[in-house]
Amino acid sequence: MEPKSCSGDGNPSRNLHPSKPLMAANFLRCLSRIQQTATNSSVGSRSRRIRRAAYASMAYSAGHRRAWSWALLRKLRCRRVRPVILPRRPRIARPQVVIEIDRAEVLRKLVPGGTGMDYCRLLEETADYIRCLATQVRLMQTVTDSISS
Amino acid sequence: MQHGSGEVRGSMATSASAQMALHDDHGSQQIQNPGLHDDFFDQMLSGLPSAWPELGNPKSPWDASAAQKLFRIDLTGKPPDESQPEAATEGLRYASYDEATMLASRLPQSQGSGGSSPTGEAMMLQLNNRHILPVVVPLQAAVGGGVGESGLLPLPLTLGSGGAADPRIIVETPRDEMDGPYKSPDQNGGEELYSGLGGSIRAAQAATGQHFHHPQNHGGAAAPAGVGQGPAASASSGGGAPQQKQKVRARRGQATDPHSIAERLRRERIAERMKALQELVPNANKTDKASMLDEIIDYLKFLQLQVKVLSMSRLGGAAAVAPLVADISTEGAGARAGGDGAAVGNNDSLTATEHRVAKMMEEDMGSAMQYLQGKGLCLMPISLASAISSAACRPSAGGLVSAPPPPATSAAAAAESPSSSPSASALTVQSAAAADTTAPKR
Repeated sequence: MEPKSCSGDGNPSRNLHPSKPLMAANFLRCLSRIQQTATNSSVGSRSRRIRRAAYASMAYSAGHRRAWSWALLRKLRCRRVRPVILPRRPRIARPQVVIEIDRAEVLRKLVPGGTGMDYCRLLEETADYIRCLATQVRLMQTVTDSISS
Repeated sequence: MQHGSGEVRGSMATSASAQMALHDDHGSQQIQNPGLHDDFFDQMLSGLPSAWPELGNPKSPWDASAAQKLFRIDLTGKPPDESQPEAATEGLRYASYDEATMLASRLPQSQGSGGSSPTGEAMMLQLNNRHILPVVVPLQAAVGGGVGESGLLPLPLTLGSGGAADPRIIVETPRDEMDGPYKSPDQNGGEELYSGLGGSIRAAQAATGQHFHHPQNHGGAAAPAGVGQGPAASASSGGGAPQQKQKVRARRGQATDPHSIAERLRRERIAERMKALQELVPNANKTDKASMLDEIIDYLKFLQLQVKVLSMSRLGGAAAVAPLVADISTEGAGARAGGDGAAVGNNDSLTATEHRVAKMMEEDMGSAMQYLQGKGLCLMPISLASAISSAACRPSAGGLVSAPPPPATSAAAAAESPSSSPSASALTVQSAAAADTTAPKR
């Protein structure tokens, strides 16, 4: 996921995902586990671990019914201890032949498990994924605020 | 050949009047239309079947005057303009083919053919009565729908009964769904044309630009209503244009082609999902589908970025989490032990129990409840638990006592969920909530 600077508003007051309490529980559990185990890690790896914990707790709470959570869980489960770093090929600047961006493809890349779906299902999964992500973000912000205050 | 010429004249007259009606409805577009039709018709001509040699070069601006007369007869209140001869020519060129195909079908039926103009006019009138509107409407719709050549192409081909030898005239189909109509008989023409129009509208809208933009809604509304043999489908959609002739045709909801039904269902589903997404994403005031998708993509990237940032920002504070959680379980255990008097084990086992219960609850609620009962624990709503804890609190758990209002907010959020989850999460969420509130007190 390439971080892209986009202007978003602050804390969105949206409808929460129904499994928010479960997400909270899972996330806190993950955090405590991280805390217990990670005394040796560097800053970067710790943040990566927290981020992974966030996604894992989110996917775990969402359950196996959702395609995106399922794909996310599989991806996280199969992940090696040492993350595989692929050698980056130097990007050759090609003139853009495509006139119209295929937004469905972009969406498929963003949503986990989106590659094997038709457009209709993709929209559905995107909605659920966005809702879950927003809930997770709010959760993390709450925890951060409570810690830092 | 007399017969043939009469038919030709009839077809041309009808088409000319149709085209004139078309142009009259869209006042200012006549100037641009001919240019468009020129290229389009050249394409058509190149593929015309040899069965219509007399139509091979209808470039002679034939009897525009007769066409005008007919036009006045049929469509009242629409005086022909001065640009009509030109339009008539174009109309001849354009619609002659479909009229020819219709005539071919109607040869055995209408014996009113002949070289004489009165008979010819009678036949033309007959034809007009039956076909003027179906010819007009899709043309209208095509023009109104902002469809360029690709969109105009399908229409006459469907109008012809069965559309013999039509498919090879199609030069381009912007969408796959437009292939279906040309192989299906007339009565389904309306549906496919609408879907085809929809597709081609989206695809070719940029190409055609502004002159067709004006009656787009009108065309879109008219398209499903009257294409085919007769516009009796005024009940089906709000198309105002084709309401003169009532011929029975398959109504919109009863389109027999499964492709069109499936397509329509799919489109409806996509539309409602887009609406749901629009509610989730802020700045959802975009009406354009593409920009809405852009907005969704941006929002998704933003959320993922937020997760990343937040996970980085908590590094300093992460150290405080563990003792927090440990304290919570201690206090939680203390409060609960004081609250319901259950003999609970030490902190670790309680935390472990919580985790186990949470895991079990995801799989099977019943087994989770049984497990809890086996442990001598029970599930209760968060409000009740906080009330109990406040009622029977310990001094060490004093933080919890003053805590009830803030946990109530998160508990309220939890209480919105189905009954099982708030009560199920009473164990853990309350501790989580307590974490939020006890932290500042440290």
